[in-house]
Amino acid sequence: MIHHIRNKIYHVEVLPPKQDSEKLEKDLEIFSNKYLRVMDSGYCACITDNAMGLLSFQGTEMIEELDLPVIPEQVMIHLNTFHTKDDLDNILDICKSKGIRHLLIITGDGSERLPKLQPSDVGATDVESVTSVELLKYINREYPDTFVLGVAFNPYEPEEHEFEKMERKMKAGATFIITQPLIERNEIVERLLEKYPEIPVIVEAWMSRKLHLLSEAVGYEIPENTEFDPISTLKMLHKLYPECGIYLSLLGFKTQYDLIKDIWV
Amino acid sequence: MKIVVCIKQVPATNDAKIDPKTKRIVRKGIKAILNPFDTYAVEEGVQLRDKFRGEVIALSMGPQKAEESLREAISVGVDRAILLSDRAFGGSDTWATSYALAKAIEKIGDVDLVICGKQAIDGDTAQVGPGIAAHLDWLQATYVMAVEEISSSSIRVKRMHEDGYDICEMSLPAVITVVKDINIPRVPSLKGRLASRKCEIPVWKPDDIGADTSKIGLDGSPTRVVKIQPPPPRHTSTKKIEGSSTECAQSLLRELRLRSII
Repeated sequence: MIHHIRNKIYHVEVLPPKQDSEKLEKDLEIFSNKYLRVMDSGYCACITDNAMGLLSFQGTEMIEELDLPVIPEQVMIHLNTFHTKDDLDNILDICKSKGIRHLLIITGDGSERLPKLQPSDVGATDVESVTSVELLKYINREYPDTFVLGVAFNPYEPEEHEFEKMERKMKAGATFIITQPLIERNEIVERLLEKYPEIPVIVEAWMSRKLHLLSEAVGYEIPENTEFDPISTLKMLHKLYPECGIYLSLLGFKTQYDLIKDIWV
Repeated sequence: MKIVVCIKQVPATNDAKIDPKTKRIVRKGIKAILNPFDTYAVEEGVQLRDKFRGEVIALSMGPQKAEESLREAISVGVDRAILLSDRAFGGSDTWATSYALAKAIEKIGDVDLVICGKQAIDGDTAQVGPGIAAHLDWLQATYVMAVEEISSSSIRVKRMHEDGYDICEMSLPAVITVVKDINIPRVPSLKGRLASRKCEIPVWKPDDIGADTSKIGLDGSPTRVVKIQPPPPRHTSTKKIEGSSTECAQSLLRELRLRSII
């Protein structure tokens, strides 16, 4: 992952169509175009896994069904704990066979419609529920030397609790970290960088103008009319965290994509 | 084994309004979904088909739009689907609906097992499954939480009730209605979803199933809705849990368990 940072490879979030899409063919086409554009740019396409608990199609099945090319270093699949054991193994097998190496392992939001992995599914005997830690251990055990596994860091959670979780994630085999969206300097992220100087850290840049959508993530109310300039914030994050990679969430492919290519130089 | 799963398309929201004149749900402008309890019936049908081979058929009655729910069933593994749709079916109550579905099941022929969700979330009657069994004069088991054994001639199921469960054995053909403890419904794959959009779903009318038109629709429905009124508003309250973090966690756990939330 460190070479993504050295080579200034942006991580671009690409959301698969929702399960209940009423214009599925159109949405598939949009997904395909975005994915191919990211590939052409030499960036890394990061495909989410039922983000926010909204039922969406899996990244691996999108790649298979749409016959999208996989450039191993340019694809990252998010994988959470809301799957059946069969689905989990199927996703991992497809990743392996397609040469997809980078996985972001998260506990996930879940929803009533999504099945949750059970401890017995991943051979965990000492826990009541499966988190990213158990999933990391399972993947490292069942697919040794196959994947590069990353984890999420939330600087808006109680600090000591988050660092304690991060320690467990590291022990379970995580080798890179992606933060929650940053909109300004964050001392807790700086502590993270100090604590894990050898681990590649990718900070998330919120590319939507609708900053208030972040209220829940950051844990305080952001007024709906708050003005926000994502491009300026992105430039600021590059200055603040030159040793970090950047994950672009909710990037506007029509309005912003062409603007980012000259920012990280 | 030939299995029929009866499903219903219902309004997606709890805010559905009742038309004061017709006393029926206003469905216009409200997103429709497959009745959540029916997803367990579909999953059970698909699992039994996978285990014992044969065919699983989704059957629904409703407007043409109900075809969407049938396609959803196909996207998770149902082999084919049939829609009963005609103005003559409109206004059917649970008795007339179960009569029409039973006639369709007769027409499909050689059906071994009918599976329904325990109830639909719009009407909440839980009557259609048992009604189908009554019209077909088949054995039935409601609130099934597990199919323990099945052969070409009989089925053994676990029925959930307030104090535990019953084990029932019935000869086939039979009707079961299932609760959500029975399985974890799968999420449709993209391949399944795309395939479901292409397949043809036949639409059967009363003549196609040999239905007596005096037994369907409003005329065939003995139910008369005399009055509808909203339930009294729910009273909410807040309880503050105090103590050390361990004590708070234990208290919270106890409260959640008392309310059957976990």
